Amino acid sequence: MIPLQHFLFISAALFSLGLFAIITRKNAIQILMGIELMINASILNIVAFGKYDKIDNTGQVFGLFIIVLAAAAVAVALVIIMNLYKRVKTIDPNQTNLLKG
Amino acid sequence: MEQFLNPYQLFLIAILAITAPFLAFILSLIFKKIAAALGILSISISLISSVILFLHLWKKQTLHYSFQWIHIGNVKIDVGILLNDLSVIMLVLISLIALLVHIYSVEYMRKEILKYRYFAYLSLFCFAMMCVVMADNFFILYAFWELVGFSSYLLIGFWFTKEKAVQANKKAMIMNRIGDIGFLIGIMIMLSQFHTLDIDALFGSGSLIDSSFVQNGLWVTPFSTMPGYWLSIAGFCFFAGAIAKSAQFPLHTWLPDAMEGPTAVSSLIHAATMVAAGVFLLLRIAPLFNDVVLVSMASIGLFTAFMAASIALTQNDIKKVLAFSTISQLGFMVLAVGVQDNAAAVFHLITHAFFKCLLFLGAGIVIHQLHHIKEKSNVDFDEQNMDNMGGLRKLMPITGIVFFIAAMALSGLPFTSGYLSKDAILVSVFEWADLRGGIFWLFPFVVSITSWLTTFYIFRVVYKVFFGKLRLEKVIAKTKEQMHIHDPNYWMTVPVIILAVFCFGVFFAYNPLNLDSSWVYHGFNLQQHNEGIYHLMVPLYINVMSLALIFLAHLIYAKKKISINFEQTWYYKLSYNQWYFNAFYDVFLMKMVLFKAQTFYWFDRNIIDGAVNFSGIFILRISKTADWFDRNIIDGLVNGSAWLVSRLGLWLRGMLSGKLQHYFIWMLILFLSFMIFKIVI
Repeated sequence: MIPLQHFLFISAALFSLGLFAIITRKNAIQILMGIELMINASILNIVAFGKYDKIDNTGQVFGLFIIVLAAAAVAVALVIIMNLYKRVKTIDPNQTNLLKG
Repeated sequence: MEQFLNPYQLFLIAILAITAPFLAFILSLIFKKIAAALGILSISISLISSVILFLHLWKKQTLHYSFQWIHIGNVKIDVGILLNDLSVIMLVLISLIALLVHIYSVEYMRKEILKYRYFAYLSLFCFAMMCVVMADNFFILYAFWELVGFSSYLLIGFWFTKEKAVQANKKAMIMNRIGDIGFLIGIMIMLSQFHTLDIDALFGSGSLIDSSFVQNGLWVTPFSTMPGYWLSIAGFCFFAGAIAKSAQFPLHTWLPDAMEGPTAVSSLIHAATMVAAGVFLLLRIAPLFNDVVLVSMASIGLFTAFMAASIALTQNDIKKVLAFSTISQLGFMVLAVGVQDNAAAVFHLITHAFFKCLLFLGAGIVIHQLHHIKEKSNVDFDEQNMDNMGGLRKLMPITGIVFFIAAMALSGLPFTSGYLSKDAILVSVFEWADLRGGIFWLFPFVVSITSWLTTFYIFRVVYKVFFGKLRLEKVIAKTKEQMHIHDPNYWMTVPVIILAVFCFGVFFAYNPLNLDSSWVYHGFNLQQHNEGIYHLMVPLYINVMSLALIFLAHLIYAKKKISINFEQTWYYKLSYNQWYFNAFYDVFLMKMVLFKAQTFYWFDRNIIDGAVNFSGIFILRISKTADWFDRNIIDGLVNGSAWLVSRLGLWLRGMLSGKLQHYFIWMLILFLSFMIFKIVI
């Protein structure tokens, strides 16, 4: 039986890696990948805690939900990136400041 | 005479008599060319109406018509006419004198540009005076009394470009106002005591005055009761009105100044209108006066008569002499009312009207002639100064003769009208003094002296103007042939000749030497004059002395045989400066009023204005402070908060760089700081 801590460590590591990727990468695709990593870290967390609910398996069910939602979100994000590219001919988030207030 | 008009027709005639001049007044202002004709026509209508009224009403009946006018509570003021013996004889007198003055004025004012205005005012004057005579009610009487004053104001100031004329009419107006206040107070006392202003009800037969009495210091009437002294006050108040109108001491100073008006107007004012109104009022309300008022009235009349006569002695302006003569003669009339011989007062009023009017018109002719010479010769001299006249008797004989007749009448020489009326007053004064004795013997003494003074001053005028040499020759260096002085044309001579005829006693008495045969006198004096020693003695010694004085005046002023030199004496100066009344009023009243006014002016300027200005400055300072507070503190708070918000906004705006990863970092920082905050708390 793998102890819960191991899951949490792996999850935290994954989350941090994702976060790092989001903050530092110069490519929108790579930021998207960072986001995926963070989502997966949170899914791992939820599933790991799901072992305390053996009757309803809420953790597993939520994990599946989040995977589906993440897939949909990735699809939307990819479309945004493609449109961005169409407009400004780059996918470097530092080069675009269309959201500037 | 048969009665062939009923009272209502007589009433209509009376209305006609007063409407005609009023219409003439209005029409004269519209049809300027025919103003003189309108004036003469209207006053002729009035004269005819008055004569008809006189023939019907004299000694026969009293015509009293009145209509409801104002009813307020218990107070009823009616409007109407009251024609008794006094009214009808005054009506005839006014319209006759006014007609003659109108005719005379046609020539006298021929060259005036504003002639139409003169005739309009003259008509208004006659209208007002006739209404005063007819009024049956104090309210109406007062209204027209004021109108008389106002129209005389217009006429005295007719030459309104002359500074002196404007001053004179202002003075007449103000002096009259002082008396009118008294009159008004008197009316109010009557109203509160008797609840009516109807003159017939108050003073007629079986009147309210007769039924009232003073008992235990209370004045009791059928309506109300007042302390007894109110009866005296009412008498004095009415008397004050008469004092101002009839130019008695101390309000006489307006009359000499009123000489600034045209001479024809002076003659009208002095003869039949204006000054006669005062005496008329006294006669109308004579039953009101109690003994205190009567004695004061006699004293004031006596003093005025003496003072004015003494002033007239030394005046050099021919019109001034006549003005003071009028004041003096009015003093006689007031004295007559004071000694309760109303008949004598009325009689003297009537005879005086004729000869005084004649004196003025005669003087007017002389002034008119001299004025023409002045215009032709381009030498400036005073055409009213008697020192420029003399010897005119030969150049203008008609004027000389009529003036002489009038002077005889004024002196009261036998066969003239003045002889009858003046001696009536003198006899009454003697009898009155005899009745009272003691100090009252002063009255006949002074009145005799005044009578002699009258003779002397008027013959001084006669001899200075019409006898001796023409002193004007020296002034303008022309002989009298070159000057072309002559009698005027018929417009002027006819009126003066008619007036001269009326100066003879036969028109007023069947026997011109006996007062008791006078129909006018007996018309008002119901009880037979008791034949006393005075009736013979008084006229005799007065006239003997008068003749002596006329001879003296003749020697001094015509022959220049006696030269008198008393111009440095105090009594000459007193007389020449008109007893210093004008100076006294100037110094004591005017200066006092001016000083008071200046004090109030200073007070207003400095204290009142100062307080106002100080409060203004004070409020200005406060509002400046409030302004500063608003601008800096209140606005500062508002602006400061806005500034703070805008700074904050700018700072927050700086966060939104538009770079995607910056948003992530901010999100992370906020999230982490929220977590740290949660954990720490």
